[in-house]
Amino acid sequence: MAADILLLTLISLPLIGAASISLFGKNLPKTIVGTLATSMIAGSFICAVLIFLNLPKNQIVHLFSVVNLDDFKLNASFQIDSLSIWMTLIITGIGSLIHLFSMGYMSHDEGYYKFFGYLNLFIFSMLLLVLGSNYFVLFFGWEGVGMCSYLLIGFHYSDLEKGTANSVAARKAFIMNRIGDVGLLFALFMILGTFGTVEYNEIASKIGELEITSIIPYVAIGAITLCLFLAATGKSAQFPLFTWLPDAMAGPTPVSALIHAATMVTAGIYLVVRSNFLFELAPFTKEVILYIGLATSLVAAFIAMRQSDIKKVLAYSTVSQLGLMFVALGMGAYTVALFHVTTHAFFKALLFLGSGSVIHAMSDEQDIRKMGGLAKKIPTTHLTFLIGTLAISGFPFLSGFYSKDEILAHALMHNPVVYGVLMIAVTLTAIYMFRLYFLVFHGKFRGDSHTESHIHESGSSMTIPLIILAILSVFGGILNLPGIFLHKGAHWFNDYLNANTIGLDLIEQHHLDASQAILLMVVASIIALSVMTWAYVNYAKRGNLAKADEELAGWEKVSNAKLYFDELYNLLFVKPIEFISGSVHHYFDVAVLRNGVFGIAGLVEKTGNVTRKWQSGLLSSYLFWMVLGLVVIIGSYIINK
Amino acid sequence: MALLVLPIVLALLSFLIPQKLVRYFGLAGALSSLVVALGHLSYFNPERYVSIFDPNKLFPLGLSFKMGYDGLSLTMVLLVNAIVTIILLANFAKELAENKTFTALVFLMQFGLLGVFLAQDGLLFYGFWEITLIPIFFILYWFGQQNNNSVLLKFFIYTLLGSLGMLLSFIVLGTNVQSFAYNDLAVAGSFMASKMACWVACGFLLAFAIKIPLFPFHTWQPNTYTTAPMAGTMLLSALMLKMALFGMIKWMIPITYNGFSEIKWLIITLGSIGIVYGAIIAIKQKDIKTLFAYASISHVGLIAAGIVLFTQTSLESAVIQIINHSIVAVGLFFAADIIESRTGTRNIYELGGIAKLAPRFAFWFALMTFVSVSVPFTAGFIGEFLLIKELFMAHWVTGLFASTTLVFGAVYMLRAYQVSMFGTPKMTSFEDLKWNEILVFASLTVAAILIGISPACIMNFVKPSIEHINELMVGSLNFIK
Repeated sequence: MAADILLLTLISLPLIGAASISLFGKNLPKTIVGTLATSMIAGSFICAVLIFLNLPKNQIVHLFSVVNLDDFKLNASFQIDSLSIWMTLIITGIGSLIHLFSMGYMSHDEGYYKFFGYLNLFIFSMLLLVLGSNYFVLFFGWEGVGMCSYLLIGFHYSDLEKGTANSVAARKAFIMNRIGDVGLLFALFMILGTFGTVEYNEIASKIGELEITSIIPYVAIGAITLCLFLAATGKSAQFPLFTWLPDAMAGPTPVSALIHAATMVTAGIYLVVRSNFLFELAPFTKEVILYIGLATSLVAAFIAMRQSDIKKVLAYSTVSQLGLMFVALGMGAYTVALFHVTTHAFFKALLFLGSGSVIHAMSDEQDIRKMGGLAKKIPTTHLTFLIGTLAISGFPFLSGFYSKDEILAHALMHNPVVYGVLMIAVTLTAIYMFRLYFLVFHGKFRGDSHTESHIHESGSSMTIPLIILAILSVFGGILNLPGIFLHKGAHWFNDYLNANTIGLDLIEQHHLDASQAILLMVVASIIALSVMTWAYVNYAKRGNLAKADEELAGWEKVSNAKLYFDELYNLLFVKPIEFISGSVHHYFDVAVLRNGVFGIAGLVEKTGNVTRKWQSGLLSSYLFWMVLGLVVIIGSYIINK
Repeated sequence: MALLVLPIVLALLSFLIPQKLVRYFGLAGALSSLVVALGHLSYFNPERYVSIFDPNKLFPLGLSFKMGYDGLSLTMVLLVNAIVTIILLANFAKELAENKTFTALVFLMQFGLLGVFLAQDGLLFYGFWEITLIPIFFILYWFGQQNNNSVLLKFFIYTLLGSLGMLLSFIVLGTNVQSFAYNDLAVAGSFMASKMACWVACGFLLAFAIKIPLFPFHTWQPNTYTTAPMAGTMLLSALMLKMALFGMIKWMIPITYNGFSEIKWLIITLGSIGIVYGAIIAIKQKDIKTLFAYASISHVGLIAAGIVLFTQTSLESAVIQIINHSIVAVGLFFAADIIESRTGTRNIYELGGIAKLAPRFAFWFALMTFVSVSVPFTAGFIGEFLLIKELFMAHWVTGLFASTTLVFGAVYMLRAYQVSMFGTPKMTSFEDLKWNEILVFASLTVAAILIGISPACIMNFVKPSIEHINELMVGSLNFIK
């Protein structure tokens, strides 16, 4: 089949799923709803694979013009190239697995059909985001995923205990994302102003024709890229807009896995890679990205050290890993960032689903201080979770090892200080992940006996996705093996992306020489292994447990309190705006404007009261005024003459 | 002509109908006028101007009595008839629907509104503009809250004062050419010295700024909205203020263009301030109707600022946004009224947990909330996008002001929805939606989504008339014969 038909099918399947489930899902049995939703996404995945196997060179599929104005058009059209199809594979591939997982995980939920409706709608929006051939379609999808994210974070709004907290978290996510969206909106306008089009292809070719001598386009591009990056910080939870992501864990765990780990939060990375032709001309912005990514990576890793909620640890870990990807982007290593997006999607989806399986087994308990010794009771979950932990910690020859190593290698070439800081973040990652792993799966069970009696391994619809993701997490690195191992097939992913993505083919490639590369790998392996050993000794052997919140002191307390970012933002933004809102209404709108209008009315009345007195009815008084008037008129006449 | 006469006939007829049948009569009457308008649509070619009444001579005072429509006017006519139908449908189950006087007043209102959008003569426009004040005054006075006399007086005097400015402007223009026909006035305007034209523009502005309302002329609005009966609030926000926006596009700007540029940035500034000002105040409001009223100030500020830019794109997207605002206003005030009439309070902190008691209402109210924050697939998404773009292109600071609506809009709407609908129920029961209520929400949502998917339909429909207005401004007056 031709690629364009496949593409339209793959986009419309999730939409059809979402529409039919929300219309008829209420009256259908749960299994049918779940199967329908899952098979729609699986169908999309198959279409994506078919396109991938026979990938056309930079093809545009034009659907229709949404707006057709004299000076520009906004087209609903789609782009088929390496980048968009690769993102599609991740979204639909991981998406189908998570749909499958949700069929088991959500089986007791009342809002089953709504959940799958939203989930399909999310996939549809996400596909628009990555497949659009211009910034407008991207913006459309960008706003769409924000809305779905809102709906899904607040999915359990009617929960008796956490309902309010859930919906507050959803609102926070939506609003912080909207702040980033303003950046995207501005970038779009400036792109329209500078290039007169929002199509990627056209912008890239216009950049090729830019005058090198003139400085103005560079200023404009600098501003555009900064605005784009602002958008990326919102969606991909980077400093300063990262605090929504940990709160977003209020959503059901499959949502955290799909939206807040594997797909939506990488939209910011996608945006930068997609706009590589702009960022390449904006060295200042790239520096900003590099250091914001670095700071986020470190801060989030530090906070993750002393979180006690299993999902919060993973959430901060996601923020930290996204920071790592932005570091790669800041160094211009677009394919490397995308490689890490891919492997991260594997192992982070795995870890989140694993945590979901743990929470399911623990009767919805999320506090790791109340877990322990689960390894034997839920063996499949344990084994796959271990693989995920190893992969994210950079255990040799697992997927995370390769992708992280590429970023580290670039950092070393770029700036040794950056490399040093990154190594700290990477080490912290290994520490908190193994802490999590050992506290959950080893030692003695610390919860109550009632929960203990209920612990059971999840059903096959939940374990199969775990196993598949575990396999991917182990072997994902094969996609982009470094050159030192073999010559044929090395850097496959690099070559795949660079060959058929706008702009990327023009960027020079750097690779470390073999001896340096091996040295880096050895260093990384040693750190990963020694952290693992230390964590084993500390948490499993000696049985050091996570402390209660009150016992924390010093850095542990700061880490547990999330570096007080929420409090800070509350003080800096929320409170002042509420104050302004209240006082503007009270002291200006009512006191000045409303009373001002009444004041004017009152003035009219008073004038009336005064002038009324002149109309006294006394003839002598009228005569007096008349004579006075005459005198004034005649007098002025004489004087003027 | 049936288009215009039908509502007045319906208004008279409603006094003759037996009490029991009045509510059906109201709905059927509104529907029939909508059908008539659709009939006009089916014969209409957007490139053309259609005259519905033209005696072809001048009457005393220079009155020409010309009436007719182009694409823009027809869009507004359809909007009026559709929204009036929806308002009567929303009102259908209420006690008020059985009231003959009320039904007659709504039709009289419709008559006035249609006249405003169809008039091709300045005095006629002014006349219809004033006629609309009569029914709305009595709707507010007889059927609104009992203690609202001072609010009502303020509203009435305020708007009358504004109209006075417009009347003066028309007189200045009309006496120059001895005629009030639209194209004669345009000629008068084009020959006017720019300083004089600026004063004329200010006269119009006074009327429109109060009606829209632009910051800082809005103080009549929140109180009037909260004390009005539901149908009154809907008529005010969904239709009456559109007269002013329409008046800016069709009358004020093209006719006074010589002097208009002097106050252009003043209006853009006021509009931009209004966007932020209304939104910020809405954030902390407890009364859900007041909250929506301030939100409305924020939304129309954006539309007004966009109209004043007077570019092809800004006008086309302003029309989208005008329609969207009507949809949102009716939907939100309807939701507010449902809440008020079933719980007896409008304070969102006294509400909570309604979603659990009335899931259908929660669903439709959520949809209206999303339409209001302009998510993709709704009319507001593209309208807001293009308006902010035009403002940004004019000056980035106005763009920045305008874009805050993205963030603040989400803040106040989601907060209002969440506080009132989620959490633990503070009431024992909440009757879920009836069929007519679902129908209202459904038709509004469907309209918003259709426009959201294909805004080009409406934009192409009004494009020729906007181009004609632009041509008129540059002096080629062969459009309206």
